[in-house]
Amino acid sequence: MTGTLIVNNLAGLLIISSLLVIGARQPKNSALFYALQSLILVLIFIALAYTMHAEELFLWSGTAFVTKVLLVPYIMYKALGKLQDTNADTPVIGMGLLILIAAIIIVLSYLVVDSVKLPMVEDLKPALSVSLSHFFLGLLCIVSQRNILKQIFGYCLMENGAHLTLALMAYKAPELVEIGVATDAIFAVIIMSVMARKIYRTLKTLDVRQLTALKG
Amino acid sequence: MTNIQWIYALLLVPLIISLLCFASRGLRGASRQATTLLHLTGIILTCLLSLMVVSSVITSGTLLAMHQWIYIDSLGALFIAIIGIIGLLTGLYSMGYMGHEVDHGEVTVPTLCNYYGFFHLFLFTMLVAVTANNIIMMWVAIEATTLSSAFLVGLYGQRSSLEAAWKYIIICTVGVAFGLYGTVLVYANAASVLSDPGSAIFWTVLHDNAELLDPTLMHLAFAFVLIGFGTKSGLFPMHAWLPDAHSEAPSPTSAMLSAVLLNCAMLIVIRYYIIVSKAIGPAFPQTLMLVFGLLSVAVAALFIIVQRDMKRLLAYSSVENMGLIALAMGIGGPLGILAALLHTINHSLAKTLLFCCSGNVLLKYGTRDMDAVKGIMKVAPVTAILFAGGALALGGMPPFNVFISEFMLVTAGIQSGKIAVIIITLLLLTIVLAGLVRMVAGTVLGPGPEAVAKGELGSLTTLPIAVLMVLMLVMGLHIPQPVLQLLYNATSIVLDNGGAPLSDYLTLPWQSVQSAVTHGQ
Repeated sequence: MTGTLIVNNLAGLLIISSLLVIGARQPKNSALFYALQSLILVLIFIALAYTMHAEELFLWSGTAFVTKVLLVPYIMYKALGKLQDTNADTPVIGMGLLILIAAIIIVLSYLVVDSVKLPMVEDLKPALSVSLSHFFLGLLCIVSQRNILKQIFGYCLMENGAHLTLALMAYKAPELVEIGVATDAIFAVIIMSVMARKIYRTLKTLDVRQLTALKG
Repeated sequence: MTNIQWIYALLLVPLIISLLCFASRGLRGASRQATTLLHLTGIILTCLLSLMVVSSVITSGTLLAMHQWIYIDSLGALFIAIIGIIGLLTGLYSMGYMGHEVDHGEVTVPTLCNYYGFFHLFLFTMLVAVTANNIIMMWVAIEATTLSSAFLVGLYGQRSSLEAAWKYIIICTVGVAFGLYGTVLVYANAASVLSDPGSAIFWTVLHDNAELLDPTLMHLAFAFVLIGFGTKSGLFPMHAWLPDAHSEAPSPTSAMLSAVLLNCAMLIVIRYYIIVSKAIGPAFPQTLMLVFGLLSVAVAALFIIVQRDMKRLLAYSSVENMGLIALAMGIGGPLGILAALLHTINHSLAKTLLFCCSGNVLLKYGTRDMDAVKGIMKVAPVTAILFAGGALALGGMPPFNVFISEFMLVTAGIQSGKIAVIIITLLLLTIVLAGLVRMVAGTVLGPGPEAVAKGELGSLTTLPIAVLMVLMLVMGLHIPQPVLQLLYNATSIVLDNGGAPLSDYLTLPWQSVQSAVTHGQ
């Protein structure tokens, strides 16, 4: 019981860290908050591994630590340091509205998850609803930010959400699957970062409003 | 070699060729020749191996390999054949197209090495997607197709192509994340009800135990899957990335995206359609497919009729055709499913032909604007005839192949009593045909411009298109027996009829006319 309590509480912390990732003005700071968030995710994996006696999750936490806590934030921090566009740092919506929308997402996710009848997640419903809302918070980050680098973080948040759902509901999945998902995410981040650098070099902007040449 | 070893070879060849093409950058003076030779070897081997695997499936039935991670049935084989054949033809066309771009300084030799590298990586990821039995691997592979093709879309590095590549990667990764959610829901559900939770990750196991799955979760999962993988297959309203990516990419890439990639994502939707239909009955997945399909056709038709950019028009036509496939799946029944699968092949051939022709026009005229392109017939007659024939074929004119599958779709719709849907579809198809005819009439005819040099670009940019035209005529006049056999077997798999031969109870539209005539006599 204590184990699930720890998991649910850590999941609550995830929401706060994702709001920090979305809300941080400079993408460099988002990278640091993202590392913090991934660390919380790793702790959730470890707590789940103890609670569910799922050996696989220890391996998951290892790969997640290397990829999400160290590698992705490092890649992003290095890539973002060279790219500056203060015009793009102002978000489309303010922090107040952002928190309000986040709260609505969290409540709706809780209501959706509440109807799930699977016995294996009975005690972990708060964490499961966090994982679902985390997924949609990532989407919120993508649509509410002007900076294309923040859109990459939006994807990372969605990916963390999906990863948590996977860990909560499908922790018996073969390790190779988890490694496949993690590797895919790393490649996605690398390719998006390279693409963002190309856009910055060619267009001299990171502002998504400037990318409107194609219509109709 | 055994059948299983052919599969390994099929997956390994494009991966190894891809890495070698990337590495050939280091050869400096010889890198252009080396990468082109590698590419040629790669496309020929991939096509041959894919046909070997397909023929093994036709002769010896379903193949399972790599501890159940790989599964190839007739349905998967159909898509492997498309990847192999279209990969070969667009690959050959690429050599002519990219060679021209390198000669004219539009593309550097290192970029050419990257192009061929990503081309084969893209083939590899698509082959993994259609052969995967592990549902999470399916998702990983579809996500990897986006990553491997994003650079192909943004290859020219101009403002518009970079914008297209960015939209492509963001919208598709976000879309496919929905697919992951659907996948996790199905897996978690199966893991909690199966005696061996470890095997719940395999599509074949899910299929065998579909009755045990929770109905509420299956409804939710199919909605997520259709939104997720539907984004990748270009269904409305998740199609926003498609016109941009397909119009900005180099023409052979556009052909691969339209003719092969969209189908791979559609196959994943069909795989879930089979499981969900077995779990909760076909009504829900069919209704969703019907609605998304019809909306896609409608919206695309309206964009096609007002389009001035040739490649954007073709891109919207892909949205329309994917809509038709979804619509046929939604109509269901043996004829509906057969129409959907046949249309997949037919659309692939027609769209590859047209994108390659538009590539020739682009290289000749330097623009895709239909108001500026005039008199292709005077400039490059062979391209003009192939382009005009291809456009009419795509519009559903007989004796070409698209007519057959569209006719089957209409018959299936009438048979199932969806008269209103069919009337709307026919009206929309008329609008699409009008849009295509407008494009042909405006660009092929008229006086040839002074500034454009007369003559074809070369055999590599015309021969593959001519081959496509022949294939389309063959598929329109007399579908070869092995292809028909594969289509029948694949339809049986989607219908999940327990292996009963489809030819026993399926009457094709023209067969019913034949029998009526015979009885009348």
